[in-house]
Amino acid sequence: MPGFSSGGVGGGVGGPASTPPRPFRPSRYTSSYGNNTVCHHFVVPSFFILSRCPWLSEYFSSVIPIYNAVIFLFTLANFCMATFMDPGVFPRAEEDEDKEDDFRAPLHKTVEIKGIQVRMKWCSTCRFYRPPRCSHCSVCDNCVEDFDHHCPWVNNCIGRRNYRYFFLFLLSLTTHIMDVFGFGLVYVLHHRQQLDTPHAAVTMAVMCVAGLFFIPVAGLTGFHIVLVARGRTTNEQVTGKFRGGVNPFTNGCLRNITHVLCSSQAPRYMGRWRRPLSVEVQPPFLRPPLTEAQLEAKVLDNGIQNDQHSTRSKSSLDQMESQSADAEPPPPPKPELHYPSLPRADTEESSLLTEAPPTPSMYKYRPAFNSPGRNHPAFTTPNKVHVNLHLQRWPWRPWWACWGGVKGHVRLLPDWALLHLLPIPSGGSHSSSMRSAHTAHNPLATLHSEGTTDTSYKSLANQTPRNGSLSYDSLLTPSESPEFESVVSPSTPLQGYTSPFLSAQIAQQREGQLLQGSATFSSPHRAYLHAVSPPPPSSCGPLETHLLQHNQDSSSRAPRNPFTSHSSPGAQIFCCLCSFVVLFEIELTPFLLCPPLPNGYPIRSTSRPVLANHTTSKPGGGVKKVTGVGGTTYEISV
Amino acid sequence: TSEFHNLQELRHSASLETKVFIQRDYTEGTVCRFQTKFPSELDNRIERTLLEETVKTLNSYYVEAEKIGGQSYLEGCLACATAYIIFLCMETRYEKVLRKISGYIQEQNEKIYAPRGLLLTDPIERGMRVLEISIFEDQGSGTSSPSSSSMSSTGSAR
Repeated sequence: MPGFSSGGVGGGVGGPASTPPRPFRPSRYTSSYGNNTVCHHFVVPSFFILSRCPWLSEYFSSVIPIYNAVIFLFTLANFCMATFMDPGVFPRAEEDEDKEDDFRAPLHKTVEIKGIQVRMKWCSTCRFYRPPRCSHCSVCDNCVEDFDHHCPWVNNCIGRRNYRYFFLFLLSLTTHIMDVFGFGLVYVLHHRQQLDTPHAAVTMAVMCVAGLFFIPVAGLTGFHIVLVARGRTTNEQVTGKFRGGVNPFTNGCLRNITHVLCSSQAPRYMGRWRRPLSVEVQPPFLRPPLTEAQLEAKVLDNGIQNDQHSTRSKSSLDQMESQSADAEPPPPPKPELHYPSLPRADTEESSLLTEAPPTPSMYKYRPAFNSPGRNHPAFTTPNKVHVNLHLQRWPWRPWWACWGGVKGHVRLLPDWALLHLLPIPSGGSHSSSMRSAHTAHNPLATLHSEGTTDTSYKSLANQTPRNGSLSYDSLLTPSESPEFESVVSPSTPLQGYTSPFLSAQIAQQREGQLLQGSATFSSPHRAYLHAVSPPPPSSCGPLETHLLQHNQDSSSRAPRNPFTSHSSPGAQIFCCLCSFVVLFEIELTPFLLCPPLPNGYPIRSTSRPVLANHTTSKPGGGVKKVTGVGGTTYEISV
Repeated sequence: TSEFHNLQELRHSASLETKVFIQRDYTEGTVCRFQTKFPSELDNRIERTLLEETVKTLNSYYVEAEKIGGQSYLEGCLACATAYIIFLCMETRYEKVLRKISGYIQEQNEKIYAPRGLLLTDPIERGMRVLEISIFEDQGSGTSSPSSSSMSSTGSAR
């Protein structure tokens, strides 16, 4: 583990001749997965820093070892916080919340933030519209608030809650490396005549390593300093969300910095203890007096309720459709309504689906969130309702539960670059299709623009190689990869998953199996399955074959991944330490070497320094501009 | 013939009818704020002013929680100085305010909402994305809920 051992040795090379020279062990400075000496990398540096720098303390000042120790501990503490802290995971929405956002709701909801239109996308896994700056991490399979990126080396997302620690970790690590290099240099300069001694040799080697790792670390630190000053996340920077326009989330440089560094620690949403709320809800209920306008409305309405669901940004067509439906309790959605492949060509759904780019979303079905819903016994006891929200733990996801989703952990260096840049929106292929089967004026524009954006994502998924190595393509559609792996073949028992690439026939088969095999599926979810109907059969054949083959490959290669969720927590702690060891050279160097290309061009190892430049795409190099609803422009560099 | 009344019919009961979700107001960015727009489902259940008052108070609590000032800065410095071990013993400012919010919501539920057949759910339980209001219906007044219809049918079948 170069950084810390170099720090230790750099601080300790001033030892007097009486101390036995430590044998030079190259393994300390090499980084490889499963390095057994990783445990030494914490013990040895601290030992050196704290007790073996007498020369420096004699020659200069005794503050030096203390300073080194402080910096080292600070770096370590921030690293641990960044690794183990919940980044701001949103809990899954309950069924009842989803009821309003039924299968006829649009895929996007637009909100205006400081005068700028920002789109909120529906997350099919978490079942809510993602708040602004939230993104779904496919590795952790969670929506994360203020999602920055997923760091594969700590195997954790960096989000609202732990960005500050990540940033401080980078700063302190840069400082630490500079210190190591500096003190090593001082020692070497003062022992120019004794360069053949092991101490000096070790010091020089450590200086070289430190100098080497300083470049990527400092580069990444500088990048994040710019991000913090601009008030952007890595995700937004890399996807070019605000390239041409204004960032609605910035409050000025100083305020952005204070927001990152000085704000109070954000609360976590998962794993909270709820205190028991015991409130009695017993009729008769008070009713407010009706105003005159309300009385008049009642008379005119003749008791028919208005459509309540049109208060949000839905299309007018949605309103028309839902008004009649809202006159009575919504019936269980009929599957046939949303099957464009069936001969009901008169519906808007089918016509729009055939016209629009055939990119139905790929989503992962989630069983209903285990919540006290309507049929909860507490609510339907024929007594006064004693709503006892008893002490209940939220679905708590321990930090190790997030591990194991990293695919291709043991891969070539360039691939890791791509994994480091997993913040590419995972819902890429989702957004192209409507959640509902039909659309209207505005959403049609959305669909069209999303189609161009996400056709590229979909085509990436098709190009996913079958040899199991993760190219940038598959990483651009990370949300699909777990879904790929979950589907082995049509003959296996269904897990409630529908692939967009299957033909309608197979999807129908699956539907039949779903209806038989799964008693837990509730009707809204079934409707949800059907609403996202497959593309016209003509475009499906080769894709379907490819998908099935890839699925089989993926499923066969899954067990070989040593870092799947099957590994024990002990092994994962060990992996964490390993990742700490290789943090600098792996995390940072690939980030520099391999720029993100969201259009799906596979990334191969290049030596292009991209850190300072990857934010600005050369217009001459081919930039595809895609305009979404509300003027948000995405530029995809080709 | 004697009239036979179902005792359960005589006793009024409440069941959960539906839930209304008050969404976040993002017009000022990602600061936590809820829309003060009155949902139409609650038109005949609660006075507008009461709900607006509740939402405005909640918003002010969240502003207080997210305020970047001396206290939050000192908290951060102290945490840094103790290598974040202080988080094990100390409650952060945000958590303190969340406790206050929880108490406020319970008080509002007891005083205002439960008598009207409504129930507020703390937004933190929904990831601070929505403010959930559960609407209870008085089964004795005859609604379309299945349990009440079955009870009334047994009653009328006599």
